[in-house]
Amino acid sequence: MAALVSTREPLLVFVGSGGVGKTTLAAATAVRAAREGRRTLVMTFDPSLRLKDALGVGEEARDREIPVPLEAPGTLHVSLLDARRTFDRLIERYSTDAAGRDRILANRFYQQLSGSLGGILEYMAVERLFEVASGAGERFDQIVLDTPPTRQALDFLEAPARIVGFLDSGALRVALKPWFDEAGHLKATARWGGLGRRVESFLDEVVGLDLLREMAEFFQAFAPLFTGFRERAREVEALLISSRTRFVLVSGPGEEAIPDTLFFARRLLQAGHHLAGIVVNRVHPRFDLPAAEGSRTAEETALDGRRLLAWLGERDERGLAALASLAGSRQPLLSVPLAADEPTDLPALAALGDLLAERFARASLG
Amino acid sequence: MDNSPARPLAACQLIVVTGKGGVGKTAVSALLGAALAEAGRRTLVAEVDPRENLHQMLGVAPSGGEILRAGPRLWVQNLSPQRVIDELVSEQVKIGLVARRVLASPIYQQFTAGAPGLKEMAVLGQAFRLLSGRAGTGAPAIDTVILDAPATGHGVALLAAPALVAEVIRSGPIGRMSAAVAELVADPLRTAVVTVTLAEEMPVQEVLELAAALEEKLGRRPDLLVANGLFPPFPPALARDAAESDPAAVLWRRLRANQDRELGRLAATWSWSRIDLPLLPLARGPELVAALRRAAEGQAAWKAVRS
Repeated sequence: MAALVSTREPLLVFVGSGGVGKTTLAAATAVRAAREGRRTLVMTFDPSLRLKDALGVGEEARDREIPVPLEAPGTLHVSLLDARRTFDRLIERYSTDAAGRDRILANRFYQQLSGSLGGILEYMAVERLFEVASGAGERFDQIVLDTPPTRQALDFLEAPARIVGFLDSGALRVALKPWFDEAGHLKATARWGGLGRRVESFLDEVVGLDLLREMAEFFQAFAPLFTGFRERAREVEALLISSRTRFVLVSGPGEEAIPDTLFFARRLLQAGHHLAGIVVNRVHPRFDLPAAEGSRTAEETALDGRRLLAWLGERDERGLAALASLAGSRQPLLSVPLAADEPTDLPALAALGDLLAERFARASLG
Repeated sequence: MDNSPARPLAACQLIVVTGKGGVGKTAVSALLGAALAEAGRRTLVAEVDPRENLHQMLGVAPSGGEILRAGPRLWVQNLSPQRVIDELVSEQVKIGLVARRVLASPIYQQFTAGAPGLKEMAVLGQAFRLLSGRAGTGAPAIDTVILDAPATGHGVALLAAPALVAEVIRSGPIGRMSAAVAELVADPLRTAVVTVTLAEEMPVQEVLELAAALEEKLGRRPDLLVANGLFPPFPPALARDAAESDPAAVLWRRLRANQDRELGRLAATWSWSRIDLPLLPLARGPELVAALRRAAEGQAAWKAVRS
């Protein structure tokens, strides 16, 4: 089995737009790594039921790394990333006392913040990555990390820098001042008399004092945790740009996916990340069939699945050629053909992992 | 259970088009916009994506946020949530210098970036302003806003945001607007939810989760489901003859069989008003939108759009 020089680094990160199949490719790569003899962990966000079945893991993988029963010289573990649980766990671990912990967990601002809303998933992925990576050396040779299914896939990479930026900005210092008195009124406004009351009612009108009160309370309860956050975010940031971390950029096929792919590639390189390669996934095969014939309209062509497939094959071939000329030769560019069915078991994942490894080896040589 | 909408989409004020990234939400938003405008509604289609794919679909140059005309009774706008919030604050803080200082302060920026639900609320708030004629001078009078919703997470976070914001901000312009928008979104006679999906496992899973969450949090269901990107049905005649020796036919049959399985999963959960859209050999643009619209209008479920 040919070793994969470019994808053997301790941390391999799969990035790309949502729906391009990066979770499956990350899992397949991890299976391959275990079969090459490495102790491997794949961390993923949102695997399909089918992929969970294929790996033989369930919800328990949200709390710990679950071993996958794989006949291989190495080992494979799976961990599912869950923003809310990671956040709760983090607070329990770093809170100085039970009362402080309960204050945070009960805070309405926190409850909304750690729910489904933007940015927090990426942020928590960073925390989870730190959790695992900091003790990983002894347990794993390689971590394969799948990134959250956001449209702005790079939010994840920028999360550590954003956290540090936020912690270093004046906003936090201001937020941590004791703004409110015991009765829940703004302290300053009490000192200023009538004018102060007008300021208070103005603030209440615009943003609502309830919200400000909860935010202030949240930041105060959270304050003891902040120093640790900064250090961890910095360490993860350093890890993500070190040469021990490689990125695999996964793209959909066809010309319409190219602008996003080029944008991601440029951003990764600009930020100093190391790109192992660009994988164009689910490329339709070429068929020897004319996609369109003279008078045939698009709607008529679409009635014949064979001609539709011929058109898709041509489209994807054009897309690959265009991407190759635009992306340049700084990193390998490889394609993975469309499979009618997603892998539903370990042998199928292993086969996909092998195919990806072969194409990587070929693209790196060429 | 019959799941047809309380009234046709064409009679609603707000149509929120939800779905996972890459399923064709933008094409569906554009085709609904074109159909409603033709039916006489003054319609604005709004997107929340700096790439402005909606503009491409409607054949309009990127605008950077301005309201642009895309046809008779049809307009398009690219929304930046931050810009909408900034506008609201500027309107409130009437002294220009003070407003600029507020907008530039890191505390304000961190607050508006981090406050739960505020961005989502701002997007819906802009729809509300357009509908109530308060979107500023020069904005056209609008009967219907179609919102091509952001792909991140479930559309539920977006739809639940006004109620969340209204709960914490009880007075003032933002509070009043949040309450009004929450009421609009909860009213099935004024707001419709359209869900777009591909007939693939993950998008279908997300639709089922969205429908369940909508029911739990807002007591309503998607009014219309659009299954996009379908291969044509595989003809039985082909299965008998050439199929095994023709790799294109083999792949066609398997891809369509997988799509049928996922459509079956959707149908098994409850009865939707569902429009099926074909996979078409066309690039993003007005030609694709027109062809998809022709395909949609021929179907029984189109009565959910125009009765």
